[in-house]
Amino acid sequence: MPLPAPLTENQVYHCCPEDKLDFITTEDLPDLERPYGQDRVLRALEFGAGIQAEGFNLFVLGPSGAGKHELVERFLSLHAARQPVPPDWCHVYNFQFSDRPNALKLPAGEGRQFKKDMNDLAEELRTAIPAAFESEEYQARLQELQEEMAKRQHQGLFEIQEEANRNNIAMITTPAGFTFAPMRKGEVIDPEEYKNFSDEEKQLVESKVEELQKKLQQTIQQIPRMRKEVRERVHALNEEMVQLTLGGPIGELREKWSHLPDIVDYLDAVREDVVEHAEAFQDSDNGPPVGLLARYKVNLLVDNAETVGAPVIYEDLPNHQHLAGQIEHRARQGNLYTDFTLIRGGSMHRASGGYLIIDARRVLTQPMAWESLKRILSSGEIRIESLERLYGLVSTVSLQPEPIPVSVKVVLLGDRMLYYLLSHYDPDFLDLFKVEADFEDDLDRNDGCYELYARMIATMARALKMRPLERSAVARLIEHASRLAADQRKLTAHDRVLRDILSEADHWAGQAGADTVEASHLQQAIDEREYRASRVRERSREQISRGVVMIATTGEEVAQVNGLSLLRLGASMFGQPTRITATARPGKGQVVDIEREAKLGGPIHSKAVMILSRFLASRYAGDGELSLSASLAFEQSYGGVEGDSASVAETCVLLSAISRVPLKQSFAVTGSMNQHGEVQAVGGVNEKIEGFFDVCKEAGDISGQGALLPASNVEHLMLRADVRQAIAEDRFRIYPVSDINEAIELLTGLEPGEPDSNGEFPENSFNRRVAERLEKFAEASKKRDENGETNNSGGKDRD
Amino acid sequence: MTDAPTTQADPGTSTGRVLVLLDGSRMSYAALRAAAEIAASTGAEVLGVFVEELNQLRSAGYGFAREVGASSGVSRPFDPAGVEQRMQRLADQARRALAGAVAPHGGRHSLSVARGHVIDEVLALAGPGDLLVLGRVGWSFGPGARLGSTAKGLVYRSPGKVLLWCEKHSLPQGRVVVFLNDHVDANSRAIQAAAEVSRRSNRPVTFLMGADSSVLSKDLKGVARDLGVQESELRVRSLPSTDPVTVAGILRQERAVQLVLSRDCALLQEPNAERLLVALNLPVTVTP
Repeated sequence: MPLPAPLTENQVYHCCPEDKLDFITTEDLPDLERPYGQDRVLRALEFGAGIQAEGFNLFVLGPSGAGKHELVERFLSLHAARQPVPPDWCHVYNFQFSDRPNALKLPAGEGRQFKKDMNDLAEELRTAIPAAFESEEYQARLQELQEEMAKRQHQGLFEIQEEANRNNIAMITTPAGFTFAPMRKGEVIDPEEYKNFSDEEKQLVESKVEELQKKLQQTIQQIPRMRKEVRERVHALNEEMVQLTLGGPIGELREKWSHLPDIVDYLDAVREDVVEHAEAFQDSDNGPPVGLLARYKVNLLVDNAETVGAPVIYEDLPNHQHLAGQIEHRARQGNLYTDFTLIRGGSMHRASGGYLIIDARRVLTQPMAWESLKRILSSGEIRIESLERLYGLVSTVSLQPEPIPVSVKVVLLGDRMLYYLLSHYDPDFLDLFKVEADFEDDLDRNDGCYELYARMIATMARALKMRPLERSAVARLIEHASRLAADQRKLTAHDRVLRDILSEADHWAGQAGADTVEASHLQQAIDEREYRASRVRERSREQISRGVVMIATTGEEVAQVNGLSLLRLGASMFGQPTRITATARPGKGQVVDIEREAKLGGPIHSKAVMILSRFLASRYAGDGELSLSASLAFEQSYGGVEGDSASVAETCVLLSAISRVPLKQSFAVTGSMNQHGEVQAVGGVNEKIEGFFDVCKEAGDISGQGALLPASNVEHLMLRADVRQAIAEDRFRIYPVSDINEAIELLTGLEPGEPDSNGEFPENSFNRRVAERLEKFAEASKKRDENGETNNSGGKDRD
Repeated sequence: MTDAPTTQADPGTSTGRVLVLLDGSRMSYAALRAAAEIAASTGAEVLGVFVEELNQLRSAGYGFAREVGASSGVSRPFDPAGVEQRMQRLADQARRALAGAVAPHGGRHSLSVARGHVIDEVLALAGPGDLLVLGRVGWSFGPGARLGSTAKGLVYRSPGKVLLWCEKHSLPQGRVVVFLNDHVDANSRAIQAAAEVSRRSNRPVTFLMGADSSVLSKDLKGVARDLGVQESELRVRSLPSTDPVTVAGILRQERAVQLVLSRDCALLQEPNAERLLVALNLPVTVTP
């Protein structure tokens, strides 16, 4: 088997050809109209924004910082501009049920006018109605009425008094009422004198007094009824005056708003209410009570007077109140008080007829907000209810405003995990968010992409109001975008990272006093970012260089190999070598994964070790039994191991332990392996190789060291300049391996050997040595088993 | 029967007393408060007058006498002992109220309790220099009655000025309105009374001239000036008619807080007087 050739400098890095960039600085490039490479999202948005059917709300999923918000807002703004402006909504007083304010719909922009009209009307009521009550006409009529009623009230009393006087009987007023007594010349006769009256006279007087008393009683008892009648007639007069006064202004408003029957009905209700409360307007000194006039106000909840097209609202804090609106309270003398003017609309109100953009994570973390959002979307109407009431915490008198119908397209922005979790756990979610708009993480890198990607960078740079980038800087950024995508054939689409690098490069260009951002400034930005995140990495390397963590980069060792591990810390990650060791002795086909036994290994790592174990058995034990008891360990690893990227290294070290053939320590190995010994791709190859390169460099000169990586990972390489330099000078070699035999040969210098038709490996081949050693293990095991059976000690491995 | 004065009189400060008619009714106590304030500002003595109505006492002497409640219409026994007790109680109340009303101002006061006919007893006590203050209605025909029979009698027969009091919300910029006619002396008396009220309450004055009045307004202004009313605080308006509704309307426009008029003027001639007082709800000073 021919050994793979080490990779060349060009294979480990995909340079951006500057001749593909036809501009001097990014100023020469026009803005991108459509986001580059996000066709799937755009088609989903176009579909979701356009479809009218219910439940077709959108969930835009992608990693945070991918620029979801900007893209969605820009797209929807353009889309919404072509759509009709939705109506205005307002709440008005409900004269029938004061705790249930009515909702009125008006064409866009007319809400303001209606509000002004009602304010003007209230102002007019404040002056016109008291003026009507002050008028000569009203006063004269009231006077007449009062006189007439007073006359009627007193008529009975006067008549009785007259009758009494005619019969020479005085009607005397006392502090508590009236009494009757015989009189002469206007004076009550002395009772002593009365005794001299004849019996007939006395009887006459007394019967008359009794009669008068009865009449008086009847008359007095009628007074309350008469008073009630007066009140009713005064009220009728007041109503008449108010009707006359209101006739003009209300009539004008009815005419003006005749195209809206609901408004006309409301105006009629206002008129009836004013008439009903006519007396309250009579106080010309203080004017009508403020509370009464406040009833005729208009609470303009949604004002689309200045909206162009359909609204596109982004709710920054999507809590229950901000979404569905709330009913505020005022404290008055220690009591909480509210009325329909204190109803506040939410973003769902404002976005009705248009689009509402919400961050999914935020809405999910606000109490009740997610449930409220779903309820509104399901019911198609907004019912304002305070959170306190929903939870039953507060029992103050509140309002139940008439629900407002809503037709809003909600666009949730969130990461993929959130989308999949909601899909799985929330049964309503997929009914309400049927359109999935999935962001691309990476864009294809091909000859046609350079211009568009450069324009995308130019657009970003202009949006950031930064210095223009020179062509070389754009080329460097494109290369870095490939590195960020960890793929020579891809470019990252991660908006935030690119913006951050651009901003930082602009900063360094400013520090250097440059007018444009050059490649060196961009490189400085990348290096500075690396440096800022390098504290842990440097401490880790220092441990290796000081020998605290043992890593050999020269010589050969049996049962010891340099694996490559990847450490992820926040947004940054780095690779470093890890010593993997193995032991082998006779046993019952058991490979002990020490990491797993110590509960430091993850399930994928365990799986990889099992695959390795089965690979050994199938390759070397054939039809027989694999009599091996082996162990594998990541030395000086205390933080847990996960992934299968070490399985090539583990196989090699285990085979070295079995065969006692030493492995070159100048190589580090990464790659996963299947049961047939084929090497498979792994992640983080750039960081791993650079990590080993740095360790080698710190250990002394780079000279002949290198790394083995899966051949399928070659196109993921975008290595650092110093690594590329060492490769160019043949001081550092990277071998792409596709089979475990290639790795064995590179690490041992021995030919692995292919089995012949009998399954025998060639003499002196590495595999032959392994097979022979395993046979010895098998014999040793057999012998022990026989002894064990003789001694009844069973076939247990005593390790 | 007259109680002794509680404080020494200062004869130099006042020309006459303030007589206030007390009958225990709510309006009479309101009149008492007004009288006490006037007396405080002029330094006059307040003489409360409580008359035990002879007619009531006699009525109670009849075995068949009953009292019919003014509001309830319920008939109750009406006997002399009860009436005597009631009168005694009312007189005591009047005495306490008088002392209470005058005490804050520190003036002199006394209460005259007499038995007889109210008008006769008051006229017997009142002199030409005295101001008689009384509620517009007493224990009259209950609510709605605007001018009691006693008030009517005293307005026309009192030797001095009569102030018919009624409770009225005080307007901040209210004016004292004087109704004037062709009688020079009567006008002069009315203006003098108005000037006193104006000085006392620090309010501007309006002269209301009858439509057919031949009195020149500049003459009136001269009189007022002589009495210390500043010209800037004086306004003259002519009255198109003496119809009570018209008068009431003008008084409202002027934000009148008190009306001053002579007893001879057309406004106080029946039946206008009753109608006017029905239309108005403000204190009225009637000068001789």
